Amino acid sequence: MASRTQLLILSLGRRFSQQVKESVLALQDYVVLTARGLAALVTPPNYRRELVTQMDSIGVQSLSIVVLTGMFTGMVLALQSAASLDAFGARPYVGRLVCISMVRELGPVLTALMVTGRVGSGMAAELGSMVVTQQIDALRVLGSDPVRKLVAPRLGAALIMVPLLTVISDTVGIFGGSLISIFNLKLSWEFYWRSVGNAMVINDLLMGFLKPLVFGLILSSVGCYMGLNTTGGTQGVGLSTTRSVVVASVTILSSDFFITKVLLILFPVV
Amino acid sequence: MRETIRAVLGLTPRPVAIPPEPPSPGLRDPDEPIISFRDVHLAFDRPILQGVSFDLAPGTTKVILGGSGSGKTTILRLILGLLKPEGGSIRVDGADVGHLGEEDMRPVRLKIGMVFQEGALFDSLTVGENVGYRLVEDGNVSEAEIEARVREMLGFVGLETFYGRMPSELSGGQRRRVAFARALVARPQIMLYDEPTTGLDPITCRTITDLIVKVRDLDGVTSILVTHQLRDAFNVARTFMARENGEFTPKAVEDLSMLEGTEFMMLRQGVVEFKGTPHELQTSEDPYIKEFLS
Repeated sequence: MASRTQLLILSLGRRFSQQVKESVLALQDYVVLTARGLAALVTPPNYRRELVTQMDSIGVQSLSIVVLTGMFTGMVLALQSAASLDAFGARPYVGRLVCISMVRELGPVLTALMVTGRVGSGMAAELGSMVVTQQIDALRVLGSDPVRKLVAPRLGAALIMVPLLTVISDTVGIFGGSLISIFNLKLSWEFYWRSVGNAMVINDLLMGFLKPLVFGLILSSVGCYMGLNTTGGTQGVGLSTTRSVVVASVTILSSDFFITKVLLILFPVV
Repeated sequence: MRETIRAVLGLTPRPVAIPPEPPSPGLRDPDEPIISFRDVHLAFDRPILQGVSFDLAPGTTKVILGGSGSGKTTILRLILGLLKPEGGSIRVDGADVGHLGEEDMRPVRLKIGMVFQEGALFDSLTVGENVGYRLVEDGNVSEAEIEARVREMLGFVGLETFYGRMPSELSGGQRRRVAFARALVARPQIMLYDEPTTGLDPITCRTITDLIVKVRDLDGVTSILVTHQLRDAFNVARTFMARENGEFTPKAVEDLSMLEGTEFMMLRQGVVEFKGTPHELQTSEDPYIKEFLS
């Protein structure tokens, strides 16, 4: 006869294997949803009006927070880097440092995190509400494919708008850095911008453009997945919203590491 | 757990007990029932439906009664292919919907109109856009024709002036009536009603049941009404549309034994407890039915 300890271990093992199975199934659903969404983007019929609406929601309506974030990040970066570089008498390199940091790292990551907080959560809440009020069922009954109608336009809009927002954030950040360099650090306007120009190489642009593409896909697909996966009424909608922000943010930050690592191997900094 | 997303992605488990039949072209023998359930089983965490079988002849109405969680709404979801059975077969107008994929379900769904419990109107669309949604998705109907059809349907449910309003501006009863118009706009052969009167006041309930009768009697539409409101169920069964001074008005039959064309079915924990006429239901000696009716 099995002892109580053995029974406890057995029960824990069963629960663990169930959790693993659930996680693998969830990952499968997520991958299938994302793949179907991307396929629906490039095959007819397309919902162009929906795509434009989502581009407005993701891009235009996120502009103010992205500009503010970029501006203050660039400014604080100039201040902080000047304080460190002064120790080596390297203050003139502030422009170079602000530029590389913004384009390679801070611009893509901070933009993606801000858009995740504003839009990714909104996607999860909107789709979650549609699930609990049976609107997704109604869509299917009325002859629409929810993946084509709801998921594809959100993925497409994020793939277009997150890189654009990142470019804006990078530009505004570098500009913010220039304001601090000129008015606070007493560097000349020409010197700062020449330093920025000299710092930028094609690898930076590649990294600065590839990352927001991946981040855009992550934040929109996670938002849609969490939304469509909502169960349990309005409480479930709240839970999906929180989960979508947490999962997307963590995934963005961890994928940032791997993308950087791979790109540095493929295109080493000279 | 992941019911919606797996259904949307077509990842719902398919029946294993019965080998799948090839997708049917949807042709039905005229003598066959328009909807047929044969020994249908479904379970999630617990059994939902256990061996449910019934037929529905064209032009008739079936009222499905039962307490909460008895499996009433599940039957409608199975007919629409929103859920797949684990065992048994479901045929809708000759098509084996239990084995059809999402793409193949579309022509079947075009024949069906569904009124969801709370209306399930699209919040981001106006009343007119909601009602005309199916015609817009169809892509073969001109804008002028869509508007004419939408206005006709809104007139039918008595909401002709609500064309440009948003769903958030509507009362519960008005939302159901708009859902009614949306379900009817493509002139379906079959109408499914999921608790259409729940949470409404008695006068609005009467308006809704009169609409159900109107669709049944004037257009000959086959209907399934799922409800736990006995008063509304009997109202649908005993009311008919009569022509008076050139206009159709609802009239009621007092003697339930005279009623034809409406069958009642009662579910209890996923099992069919009763099938018969309204009169047979009222005179049943089954203790559960007696308690339910009291």
